[in-house]
Amino acid sequence: MPIVTPLTALLGIRHPILQAPMDVIAGARLTAAVSSAGGFGILGGGYGEKAWLEAETKKLKGTPAPFGIGFITWSLAKQPELLDVALDARPGAIMLSFGDPKPFVPRIKAAGALLICQVQDEGMAQQALDAGADILIAQGTEAGGHGASRTTIDIVPSIVDLAAGRVPVAAAGGIGDGRGLAAMMMLGAAGVLLGTRFYASQECDGAEEAKKRICAATGGSTVRSIIFDLSRNNVWPAPFNGRCLINDHARRWAGRELELLQNVKTVAAEYADAKAAGNFDIAAVIAGEAVGLIHDIPPAAEIVDRFVAEADQIFLGRRNSSAASRA
Amino acid sequence: MWPDRRLLDLFKTEFPIVLAPMAGAMDTDLAIAAAQGGALGSLPCAMISVDKAREQINIIRQRVSAPVNMNFSCQKMVDADPARVAAWKQRLAPYYEELGLDPAARLPATNRAPFDAAMCELVEELKPEVVSFHYGLPDQALLKRVKAAGCVVMSSATIVREAIWLEQHGCDAIIAQGAEAGGHRGMFLTDDIAEQPGTFALVPQVVDAVKVPVVAAGGIADGRGIAAAFALGASGVQIGTAYLRCPESRVAGPARIALAEARDDATVITNVMTGRPARGVPNRMMREVGPISPDAPAFPHAATALGPLKAAAEKLGKVDFTNLWAGQALWLGREMPAAELTRALAASALARLSQMAG
Repeated sequence: MPIVTPLTALLGIRHPILQAPMDVIAGARLTAAVSSAGGFGILGGGYGEKAWLEAETKKLKGTPAPFGIGFITWSLAKQPELLDVALDARPGAIMLSFGDPKPFVPRIKAAGALLICQVQDEGMAQQALDAGADILIAQGTEAGGHGASRTTIDIVPSIVDLAAGRVPVAAAGGIGDGRGLAAMMMLGAAGVLLGTRFYASQECDGAEEAKKRICAATGGSTVRSIIFDLSRNNVWPAPFNGRCLINDHARRWAGRELELLQNVKTVAAEYADAKAAGNFDIAAVIAGEAVGLIHDIPPAAEIVDRFVAEADQIFLGRRNSSAASRA
Repeated sequence: MWPDRRLLDLFKTEFPIVLAPMAGAMDTDLAIAAAQGGALGSLPCAMISVDKAREQINIIRQRVSAPVNMNFSCQKMVDADPARVAAWKQRLAPYYEELGLDPAARLPATNRAPFDAAMCELVEELKPEVVSFHYGLPDQALLKRVKAAGCVVMSSATIVREAIWLEQHGCDAIIAQGAEAGGHRGMFLTDDIAEQPGTFALVPQVVDAVKVPVVAAGGIADGRGIAAAFALGASGVQIGTAYLRCPESRVAGPARIALAEARDDATVITNVMTGRPARGVPNRMMREVGPISPDAPAFPHAATALGPLKAAAEKLGKVDFTNLWAGQALWLGREMPAAELTRALAASALARLSQMAG
């Protein structure tokens, strides 16, 4: 049975599943795969790299299913012309995260695209609503990559109450299977945004080694910190920091962030080399707390199908799929 | 209808809701009221004597005919390191001075003792339907006696590894305590606060890792949260923070005001109040010395030197050194009698579950 919510209606999609615009690794291939499967793929425009964006949006042009393009707001503000490249691909929505969306709203609306804003607290949610957001993503600290401190179970109902039915709210952070989709909808969310789960998919442009590490990771093997941002000389505004798998590099610098800052030149060079070489003992695998629920690398469409089937069973009052398969 | 009845069958309560045992913030009245409402009433016994525990259980038994849960802690006691304690007292000296207290005065002994043979005898005598532990489990000989007394045994896991350990060591149900939960983290196989997962990520992972029923805890304070916990595979929930502002709780005066006025994003995890990580509303001590300090002596010795400061400040109407334990769901708390709150929580959860099924 399809799960119909205000989010599916607004975006014109079959399933209330959005794919997070993971910087560069959520390329056209993953975006198109998720959208074709009835979810909503969002291209990972990230910090904004013009050549990459032009190449990937070109591949997306004419995709029959609706898709989105996402940016890191404060980074987009440094090269606002990239928004035109994005809008030129006729996305159904632009997703903005981390910063004031207001300066970009007129162009987005004029192009006929919806505005999706990811927020981490009530203040940001209000700012997004005031700016004219059509959809809010309430992101909990469990999420991989950049985010803030409040958890999903805390922030989702709070933002749902604040939105008061004016716009749909989707939930992000810690969602690894259909149980998470059902649970978020119990909290009042109209859908979910999945990052880590789609990282471990065949169409994601992330390194195979990184995907394997996500599958092997157990619960409690991620950490939210500023270590990786410091190590790549990438200064983020407060209150944001990044969740990644714990590796040798994270262990080495945990609690010694000041010392890392003092040695940042050496560390950054070492880090850049490791990243280029695909050495994930040093380079970050950006992933959220749902890693413990992720054990395989299927096609994106299969992920969408599994989520919907599992959530559907739960809504019907049947036991959750994992418990049922064990019994 | 509840989608999972395993916990109801195990506890024989009306609702799959456990009142969290909140030492220092509650006693018999809240346990009785929650039990009257249909929840499993829990009595925190980690900070009271055997005689006091007996007296309180007897009061509960007289006033309500419902299953009861006695809660104990089972930390491995470590002797106070004199050098660390001295340094800690030095750190606190300005506060002693400010409040006109003598920093050199002898400190009272700690009232936080782990579960021992004397308490085990009491359990055998009183036969509570449920016994729950924090910080793991007592040694196998004591645990065997608790189980032989017919008690259902429960303990908290903060990571998947702890859940597997608890099941292997005889737990009949496991509380998956997410990072949102108020009060002390139940962690016993890890001491890394940064790696403590949230309830949403933890619960399904624990459900997949163990066969016994899982109780979700942390951040759950309304019908939506309870319904969500069931969707994640939990068989019930443990709720504490939502009950803090009930008239039957023992949170009084300035502490009650501080909890009522806390902002929605107010709580943090600290180790300066007792030496173990716990979530609460920041007080002056947490703001100025913590929230995390490497100088805090091991649990419970950090708390001992705070005792006189807490008492003196409270006399002045201040919560500067008072534990204001609360979870991230503090903003959902209501001032409502606990029995009524319990029934409202269950009714709204059931309504949510059937609404989503429609």
